[in-house]
Amino acid sequence: MKASYRWLRELVPQLTASTTDLAARLTSAGLEVEGLIEFGLASEACLVVRVVSCRPHPTKSGLRLVTVDRGGSQQEVVCGAPNVPDLGGLVVLAPLGVYLPAKNVTIAKRAIAGVESEGMLCSEDELGLGDDHDGILVLAPDCATPGTTLAAAVPAARDTVFEINLTPNRPDGLGHIGLAREIAALYNFPFVLPDFATAGGMERAPSALSVRDLVTIVVEDAERCPHYGAAAVVDIAVTASPSTRYRLQALGVRSISNVVDVTNLVMLAWGHPLHAFDLDRVRGNTIVVRRANDGEKLTTLDGVTRELVSDDLLICDGQGPVALAGVMGGASSEIHEGTKRVLFEVACFDPRGVRRTARRHGLHTESSHRFERGVDPGDVESVLDHAVGLTVALAGGQPAAGRIHVQHAHSCAVPAPPAKRILTLRVARLRALLGVDVPFDEAIPILERLGCSVVAKSSISCDVLVPTHRPDLTREVDLIEEVLRVRGLDSVPAQLPAIRASRDVGGREELARRAREIAVSVGLSEAITYGFTSARALEAVGAPKPTVLLRNPLGEHHAVMRTSLLPGLLDAVAHARRHFERDVREFTIGQVFLAAAPSGDGLPTEQLRIGVVLAGDRPGWLEKPQPLDVWDAKGYAVGLTERLAGASALVQVEPATRDELTEIASHLHPRGAAFVHVNGRRIGAFGLLHPDAVAALALDGDVLVVELTLESFAEGIPIPQYAAIPRFPASTRDVALLVRDAVMAGEVESAVRAAAGPLAERVRLFDRFTGGHVAAGFASLAFRVVYRASSGTLTDAEVDAAHANVVKVVGERFGAKLR
Amino acid sequence: MDAVSDPTVETIELEITAALASLREAFLPRFRAAATAQALRDENAKILGKKGELTAILKLLGKAPPEGRKAIGEKVNALKQEVESGFESCLSNLRLREREAELSAPPFDLTLPARVPAQVGHKHPISIVREEVVAVFRQLGFAVFDGPEVEHEGNNFTALGFPPDHPATDMQDSFWTQSNHVLRTHTSNIQVRAMKSIAPPMAFIAPGTVYRRDDDATHSPMFHQIEAFLVDKDVTLAHLKGVLAEFAERLFGPGTPVRLRPSYFPFVEPGAEVDIGCVFCKQPNGTRAGCSLCKHTGFIEVLGCGMIHPVVFENCGIDPEVFSGFALGMGLERLAMLRYGVPNIKLMFDNDPRFLAQF
Repeated sequence: MKASYRWLRELVPQLTASTTDLAARLTSAGLEVEGLIEFGLASEACLVVRVVSCRPHPTKSGLRLVTVDRGGSQQEVVCGAPNVPDLGGLVVLAPLGVYLPAKNVTIAKRAIAGVESEGMLCSEDELGLGDDHDGILVLAPDCATPGTTLAAAVPAARDTVFEINLTPNRPDGLGHIGLAREIAALYNFPFVLPDFATAGGMERAPSALSVRDLVTIVVEDAERCPHYGAAAVVDIAVTASPSTRYRLQALGVRSISNVVDVTNLVMLAWGHPLHAFDLDRVRGNTIVVRRANDGEKLTTLDGVTRELVSDDLLICDGQGPVALAGVMGGASSEIHEGTKRVLFEVACFDPRGVRRTARRHGLHTESSHRFERGVDPGDVESVLDHAVGLTVALAGGQPAAGRIHVQHAHSCAVPAPPAKRILTLRVARLRALLGVDVPFDEAIPILERLGCSVVAKSSISCDVLVPTHRPDLTREVDLIEEVLRVRGLDSVPAQLPAIRASRDVGGREELARRAREIAVSVGLSEAITYGFTSARALEAVGAPKPTVLLRNPLGEHHAVMRTSLLPGLLDAVAHARRHFERDVREFTIGQVFLAAAPSGDGLPTEQLRIGVVLAGDRPGWLEKPQPLDVWDAKGYAVGLTERLAGASALVQVEPATRDELTEIASHLHPRGAAFVHVNGRRIGAFGLLHPDAVAALALDGDVLVVELTLESFAEGIPIPQYAAIPRFPASTRDVALLVRDAVMAGEVESAVRAAAGPLAERVRLFDRFTGGHVAAGFASLAFRVVYRASSGTLTDAEVDAAHANVVKVVGERFGAKLR
Repeated sequence: MDAVSDPTVETIELEITAALASLREAFLPRFRAAATAQALRDENAKILGKKGELTAILKLLGKAPPEGRKAIGEKVNALKQEVESGFESCLSNLRLREREAELSAPPFDLTLPARVPAQVGHKHPISIVREEVVAVFRQLGFAVFDGPEVEHEGNNFTALGFPPDHPATDMQDSFWTQSNHVLRTHTSNIQVRAMKSIAPPMAFIAPGTVYRRDDDATHSPMFHQIEAFLVDKDVTLAHLKGVLAEFAERLFGPGTPVRLRPSYFPFVEPGAEVDIGCVFCKQPNGTRAGCSLCKHTGFIEVLGCGMIHPVVFENCGIDPEVFSGFALGMGLERLAMLRYGVPNIKLMFDNDPRFLAQF
């Protein structure tokens, strides 16, 4: 909402606060002033001057040398405008040194086609008063003496405009009268509503014609239009409207004609939109308010032909739709230069209906904005008075006698006042909610200044009658907020509560925090990826079919909720690679959305997971870069799992079989994929991304992925239990075994461990070697076995016996030979 | 050899004495000539080893007559000790020289890149801020309450007092699923879930992911919020202000001013927006100079808050005449962008390694 400081001061004459003070006060009361616009700043320095003489430029046609009287002195300026008035006409001079903010120029002495000009005659555009740059601004004859500033001669040419960010609960602030009432309440000034009925031309005798003779009004849908008021003015003359021009311009509205300006000014005064019809274009002299038929068409003022649905409310004449009620008029009954008789509509439309229609048609107008928030149902008559009075003042003519009001489908001459709400306010409740005592002596005057009245009062409570312009006041707590707003939030002290502590419900935040800590500690950086992705991307990574599909996604790429974290992470890899960043080691923690549990509340099952992507080279030191491989992926997968699960958990990696890959991990490379098990339960998989997935997602190169569910770690890690530190020395034996190179090292290792028996404390593969002296098709696996007993030092014979069994068993089982 | 068949005692004595004399002359120069510890040890072995020169002399002693052996033996032993101590001192000299040489050799090239013990990763800036905010509220006595991102309309809107046609509820502003659930548009759904499932008192925070149908330079369709709420008997606006002041001091530093402006949210009344003293133009004396980030006001908006609306209590089965409470909520992206000077919210979700490595 744009508000004119000049207008507000007209409505609250006692107001002396500066614009910045007023802005701060409004903001502190919840009407946030986001900016101040200085309108027509140049008017304070530019002068009204009289044209004294005018001659052509000596060399350049189209230019003239104009001598002007600036009040006691004369000067000659070069002017290129086509509309220099006749001698005696008043124009506006920007003298030397004056800064014109609208053009960001400072007037300096300069030669124009060889003739020096000491100033400039200005257009509205140059003065920042409008966008008219076809010629210089010519003022009304004798409106001021030469030498006065433009701001003094035309006060409306200088204003400060408040840009107020109104919350949607304050429709009363969408008009200057509502704002003035608020300001008066904040500064404790009396607020008197101007009497528009007698202002302007209303003293003029009304026409013999009655509005009822001119038009018939039928409201078919009283629910969507509970009140339709109308008044008419006849014998008017539609002209340009210099007197309203700058006020509207300052508020961001173009001046069109006197009658159209009336509708805009009255709307900006009351916050209640109104519509003007050319009565001679209202076919059948009938206005019908009804719902549209599906498929019916209306061309609105913006030139768009709109197909309507039965939920749209229409204003129609005898033949068809003329306006989209509360949103936008149609072209057919528009006010034009030849209009002689105007019909004003001031109505109340159901806010929700207007909102639906506006949204449906993608229209957001000054009118729909106000109707959506709720206009004052009690001001219809006043708004009509104001419109009629201002029309007579600006466009002449006579008001038609009487009014038409259709209230709840019943026609009447004088509208019944809308029912007002009564709320009970308890003084104890003020303290209970605010934490500070506010006596009635203070609270009640505040409410009264805002337009409320107290109809009953005791020492502990009072009944408050709520004015119709405050639809937001529906409960006691709303009155308390009003008192608080006007007193100021600073009036409430800050006090720390004694909090009775709660316990966590659900453990995902803590679990995610722990997983994040661990992932960062192993060298991964955290990505935050979108919860939505595309069905295609999920399919490419072999994730379950999405079960949560969006009805209104922003695009196909974000149309479903993810069932895997990988698409988002792979997006990050693709993004990095597009920017020539090849090294990506990132993780993300987030929910995947799986089918709803059958016994649940119908919501999808949200499962917390961690996903990892690895791409590029392994971090190393002064060596030839080596690309990350599946064993790196295994290292991250196992490292994360072991730390999440705790030392006592059994973490195992099982290479995936072909069948498993087809069923549940088709996104992984058939030669480089495995599952991670914790205490026998599978929690996820890792591996090299399948080349088909790489191609489908246009990833431009290999990527390693890990995805693990976190839920099994929600309980936290078991508390580790101390194990005695060995007191006796260990004996170490190494064994190098020659096996076929298709034999999995892990199987050999398990066999070694089993064969070495209970004395083997640790078995570790420390070398795998092929080539050289090792025959083709074979590999040498070297294990170090550490033997130790807790009861005493082992003898060589005991160790040798255990170790001999190792050689024997692996020889039998794998055909392994000692190397 | 048989000692009895030896020539004379004198001859052997002379022979031994001469050998000892020549060895005494020679051993030190030989030791000193050794350039390395190994060379020195080799030289020492040539004299004192099993086949060494002094050992050979010692063997001659057997040929000497018993009555002269003692005197000669003493001479041999004396020389042996001289050789040993000569060896030790040469060895220690040699070590000193080696150490000197090692210390004075060219320095290590410490301009070479560091060998990092283990690569450490980086938390996302949103997570850093999230963990900090959670920690602050935990210190104040709040616990975390979890909830789903896909939510019933009732928990996300209706119970919070949103009227049925509120713009936030329509297809233009919120994401709806084909099962007519909504992607939660705020973490305020947790208020409803907590109040429906637990009897007061309660003090919870709800950090989480939320979704709105906006996508531009300042809006992401997915973002993060943290909500905090306290419900108990006699909770007042003064308590809300107390918690906000404490929160601001702990997260943004001691003395951070807090300003409340009345505002409107359907689920609180009274409602307010909270500004804190601008963190970018803070002066050493605690005042704010004004800058472009605070639009020269000295304050930046960080959160919304208010007293929980009685209609929310009623919708959750709590009697607003008995209990009261406050709620506050903030956007984590905004906090993170303000703190780290990130100009565009898109950067937060590109997950560029060069971005993440900065935090």
